[in-house]
Amino acid sequence: MEILVYGTINSVSLALMGLGFAMVYGISRVPNFAHGALYVICGFVTWTLFHKIGLPYVIAIILSLGVNGALGMLMYRFVLIRVRGMNISEIIASYAIGLAILEGLRFGGFRGMTYTLPVFMEGSIMIGPVPVDFHRLIMMVIGILLVAVLWVFTHHTRIGLALQGMAQDERAALMLGIDSDLMAMLAMGFGAVLAGVAATLILPLGNIVVESGYHVLIMSIAVCIVGGLGSWMGAFFAAFIIGYAQILTVVFIGSHFQMVVAILAIILTLILKPSGLFGQQKELEERV
Amino acid sequence: MKHIKLRVCLSLFVFMFLLFSGGHAFAEKPIIIGAPLSIAYLYGWDAERGIKLAVDEINAAGGVNVNGKKRPFKVEVIDTRDLEPGVPVSEALMAVERLILSKKADFIVGGPNRSEAALAALSLLSKHKKISIVTSGVLTPAYHKTIAKEYDKFKYAFRIHGEAVTLIGEMIENFVDLKEKYGLTKVFIMAQDVSHARGAAKVMAKVAGSKGFEVTGSEIFPTGTSDFSMALLKVKSTGSQIINIWMDMPESAILLKQWYDLKIPALPFGSTLAAAEQPGFWKATDGKGEYTLCNVVNAGNAPSDATPWTMKFYNAYAKKWGVEPEGLGSSSSYMAVYVLKDAIEKAGTLDSDKVITALEQTDVMGVYGRLRFDPKSHQVIAAKDPKDGAVGSILQWQDGKRIVVYPKSIAKGSILLPPWMVKN
Repeated sequence: MEILVYGTINSVSLALMGLGFAMVYGISRVPNFAHGALYVICGFVTWTLFHKIGLPYVIAIILSLGVNGALGMLMYRFVLIRVRGMNISEIIASYAIGLAILEGLRFGGFRGMTYTLPVFMEGSIMIGPVPVDFHRLIMMVIGILLVAVLWVFTHHTRIGLALQGMAQDERAALMLGIDSDLMAMLAMGFGAVLAGVAATLILPLGNIVVESGYHVLIMSIAVCIVGGLGSWMGAFFAAFIIGYAQILTVVFIGSHFQMVVAILAIILTLILKPSGLFGQQKELEERV
Repeated sequence: MKHIKLRVCLSLFVFMFLLFSGGHAFAEKPIIIGAPLSIAYLYGWDAERGIKLAVDEINAAGGVNVNGKKRPFKVEVIDTRDLEPGVPVSEALMAVERLILSKKADFIVGGPNRSEAALAALSLLSKHKKISIVTSGVLTPAYHKTIAKEYDKFKYAFRIHGEAVTLIGEMIENFVDLKEKYGLTKVFIMAQDVSHARGAAKVMAKVAGSKGFEVTGSEIFPTGTSDFSMALLKVKSTGSQIINIWMDMPESAILLKQWYDLKIPALPFGSTLAAAEQPGFWKATDGKGEYTLCNVVNAGNAPSDATPWTMKFYNAYAKKWGVEPEGLGSSSSYMAVYVLKDAIEKAGTLDSDKVITALEQTDVMGVYGRLRFDPKSHQVIAAKDPKDGAVGSILQWQDGKRIVVYPKSIAKGSILLPPWMVKN
């Protein structure tokens, strides 16, 4: 029972971390290596708005998500747009931005373990014989709801369909009057907001530390590679595979090896099925 | 004309002010203390603050008397980043070498903080014949054993704070008390995947077993782990009553929050538990860290009256930095500078061999007791009474305060159990 409960919680947490990365890549084909930094910065902005400025927690979260979205769009508009289509340059540029954000935060004094956010609800309940705290349950529910909302958004709204069009064939989308740069910028904004949503849901469980930016980036990459680069639904399912594999490793082998699971998943996927579980377009390219 | 006179007077005033303000003006060349520290982490920045506080006090009092000449100390800090996950040891070694070659450090004080890096730096110190006093982080017994084994090669290195074996002894003594008082006999060990913690966990399992405790499990966590739920459930399912924690990563705060949220009926008792050492821990965990115990290695890092100097240091640190001494490297880093000053003055020179001899003869009553080095291993001599040697300090978070509960000679309270562990 504990494997089922905590496997699901861990998987949803990984999905939250990876969804933004998967969405940005799926639409704009930009591998946003600043994803982890956006996650951390959202945590610190929320902390500042809540603890230093004294705004209500909900307002602080909404504002920080807005700030994150704007930051993502600005990153695309002023930096990534210039290197779009050049894969290595995109990786270097976005990683450099992420590094600058994280090291800038560290330099600015955001270090140590005293930066924390309050949980949404105190206390815990028993699911069968397994105790679970309310915040984790809330995180799990919001995570699953978020995937449902994303599905509706990308399948039943004009912007969502435009984003989908971009993801399927950018040139065809351009011919239909879809502004590809605007859509890519919006995708970066959405991706940054999703990184922020993950931060505001996960960070109250612990503390906000700069190093978690690197951890989130690695986990996002693992989830996206296993799920298939470009497929955010693939990322969601991959999160469940890695999430459960991690929990099973902790239970039957040892906590020591849980980080190895993600790295091993990347290596195995690249060897056995480089396109990932749901990376259909890449799979076609591989066949050709 | 009037304006010119005014300007001359003002310039003279500013000149005189600059000349005589800020304590002493030194004509002699400063003695450079190189501090290789992982300053983004607690054990780095607390050491930096301790060193700078001592240097300021010494300089304000006239500096170091080197054969009749008063020379000030000057601190050069380089960030080694060795406590951060994934940073290779070579980074720390480069920092030490840069301090020696480029910053022209006369002495090394502080780190590197990670045991692996400090061990690797021994050869570097030997190559450059530079004296080093490690003051924070490095806990592996291998450090002083290596010095003792090859004394002629590694005689340049000293350690002025307690090491893992001493820490284990202190904790075991408390476990025995807990067994007698509350009947706690089952211990679950959780350690971070770093040298000193892995080693300490192994030794702790062995020693606890030999003292009649049942070791119900042992888990090693990669640095940066952010979820401990499954391990905590193992603690609960095995009926463990004490969780022995060896983690200096910030994420250990998550472990303690989860422990509270899940109401795990086992007392968290850590060493190098950086999260719980800091005064800000209470606020950071919204009080969920209450009852957490941690060994802060030496007295002075939590309030006590170990010696007349303890609270003097404690208050001076709090006044200068706006926060109470925060981690296990605060008091030891502060004392290292004073001990070095005494040794230089005794030697009357900066010559390494002469200062080593003087350091080996150190015998002062410091912030955490009588400070002497073992002449063969250069490890500070530990004791339970400050009159006999360097005393340790174990604190427990009680009602928002860090209460020293061990050793008895300096204790301000006794260990309490969380309400969900108290049997009616």
